[in-house]
Amino acid sequence: MNVVVTPTMLGQVIISGLLAGALYAVVALGLGLIFGVMRVINVAHGTILMLGAYVTFWWFQLLGINPYLSLLASMPLMFLLGALLQRGLVRRVVGAPELSSLLLTFGISIALVNVAQWQFTSDLRSVEYLTGSFIVGPFAFSKSRTIACAFAVAIAALAAWFLRRTKLGKAIRATSQNSEVALVCGVDVPRVHLYTFGLASALAAAGGSLVAVMVAIQPEMGGVYTFKSFLVIVLGGAGNFAGALLGGLLLGLVEQLSSLFLTTQVSEAVAYVLLVLVLLLRPTGLLGGRAS
Amino acid sequence: MVTGRSGGLPRWLAVGCAAVLAATWGMGAWAGSAAAGEPIKLGASLSLTGTYASLGQNQHRGYQLCLKQVNEKGGVLGRKVDMVLYDDKSDPATGVRLYEKLITQDKVEVVLGPYSSAITEAVANITEKYKMPMVSPLAATTSIFKKGRKYAFMILAPAENYLEGLLDIGLKRGLKTLAIINEDTLFPKATVQGTLELAKKKGMQVVFVEAYPKGNTDFSAILTKVRAANPDLLAAATYFDDAVAITRQMKELDVNPKIYGLTVGGDLPKFYELLGKNAEYVYGATQWEPDLPYPGAREFTEAHRKEFPGADLSYHTAAGYAGCQLLVEAMRRAGTTDGDKLRDALLKIDTKTMFGPYKVDQDGYQVAKGGVLFQWQDGKKVMVFPEDVAAGKPRFPTPPWNQR
Repeated sequence: MNVVVTPTMLGQVIISGLLAGALYAVVALGLGLIFGVMRVINVAHGTILMLGAYVTFWWFQLLGINPYLSLLASMPLMFLLGALLQRGLVRRVVGAPELSSLLLTFGISIALVNVAQWQFTSDLRSVEYLTGSFIVGPFAFSKSRTIACAFAVAIAALAAWFLRRTKLGKAIRATSQNSEVALVCGVDVPRVHLYTFGLASALAAAGGSLVAVMVAIQPEMGGVYTFKSFLVIVLGGAGNFAGALLGGLLLGLVEQLSSLFLTTQVSEAVAYVLLVLVLLLRPTGLLGGRAS
Repeated sequence: MVTGRSGGLPRWLAVGCAAVLAATWGMGAWAGSAAAGEPIKLGASLSLTGTYASLGQNQHRGYQLCLKQVNEKGGVLGRKVDMVLYDDKSDPATGVRLYEKLITQDKVEVVLGPYSSAITEAVANITEKYKMPMVSPLAATTSIFKKGRKYAFMILAPAENYLEGLLDIGLKRGLKTLAIINEDTLFPKATVQGTLELAKKKGMQVVFVEAYPKGNTDFSAILTKVRAANPDLLAAATYFDDAVAITRQMKELDVNPKIYGLTVGGDLPKFYELLGKNAEYVYGATQWEPDLPYPGAREFTEAHRKEFPGADLSYHTAAGYAGCQLLVEAMRRAGTTDGDKLRDALLKIDTKTMFGPYKVDQDGYQVAKGGVLFQWQDGKKVMVFPEDVAAGKPRFPTPPWNQR
């Protein structure tokens, strides 16, 4: 059964889609960086997002202050965790066939999820901080989603500035383009890998902290974000910064629009159909990142 | 085994090993035949993690409390009861694997059911195959028990009638239109089916029905459509996370039905903890509440508080507890753990437990227990339907969000 779609409804849904999409973009950015720089498929990306969400939860639970400030805790903490994982484990599969990194990160993901289940229990957690919306004309902007979007945009801008302007950022981009030439040019490639993984984990953690105020937190929440990040990367083009942004927004819009015009049951399927179409028609992604 | 000088084991060692193995296997087989005093192994899988975790854990505590009390009083048939429990992660396929394992490898003598209609339906095929009666305390979908199965026993009031009270309350106050959204899984779909049929019978017009996938967190589009349809009454057939998310997002999108009710999830104390004032006026279906006048309900609530201080108590706990009690009672009456004799006992029992009435028909389908409706008022769940257990009147209509 369906209702007649009015322009207001369409506008509302587009807004929701863009808000969600910005968040997907920031999380996918990290995944794209790792793949672009190291050719590693990081299945544990969503798991790190989950840990970031828990940092925010405990921050709010124990300190009681603004959970958005917990970004200052979750991002550095997960940066460190990411760096540790990279140095200890992921480093060993760089250069190995992609299946190795897939298996390794899958194992890391399972281990981390189980540690979380053991330490935090599977009880649903939630950060009750913001409810309601900003009403602008006929449109409702969910407060938590709008602020999450604002932070996501700010963080993405910061990441963009970092990659363009700083020496380390340029080294990362160089390694992403061609790691052999970068090595020959004097880039410390192993160090770049370390920082990239740490940075990507920090971005995932940021996503987790922002999402913690919106959804139920539980140890297995990460999986869906890993999937969506992959979708975004394929849509936008792997290793391509602007591609991740575009892909994220596109995914958010596609989900909401298909939910509006078709049914919500089908909206997940539509995203995957889109994925298949892109892979068939434009396998390097919409903004043509490096050939996968 | 290779024996002899050219590598491998010397002959005496090989024979010795074989003899020891044979002896231990023999002893194991002899000890395995349930001698009196050997604990009865009771098997189950529960949703301890995954989307149904909150509810599965409550059910777990129900099982645990029941067995603790049973064992304290000396067990059943002179034997203690040991529970062998696995986590099915809220996934039906995993549950199927686990029950197969429980019955064939762990060799449990009796089983209890898992959480949710979806998992119970999947698992019932296994217990039916091995002719093991399964008391299914947390499955409310009629179809599970009307497929010609002989070894499944229903405890809950059927899903199809969950929201009857909601419709009645609305109709009595002149409401005319209904919208339903539901999780796209077995039990919510059964509720929706039943509610749609009831609505047709009672003359309420259905303006919008849509399902969303399990695990969905963003309800903006579906709620935008609900808002456009402008129903007097909104029913949501949910579990827990989605119930919380939908309620929250209704506030964000300013969706204001005059009556808003949930099937599952609204009754957990955690629902109010998470939503606070935003949970006010929400109606919920429940199978049981601690202050209902059933025999032993108060003692159960007290015992639960002592055994699990601070733990969430919901009808899932109570149903688990009652289901376990019924199985134990059946074992007592049958005098054995034999599948067919237990089945006969379970078909004949006609009683009132702390959970409410229990009586099943020839298919194991529950015919005595009915559902109850409550509304969150000032942080408390007040029974508003049916009239014989109602403790208060519904606060009607639910005021719009911006007037609260």
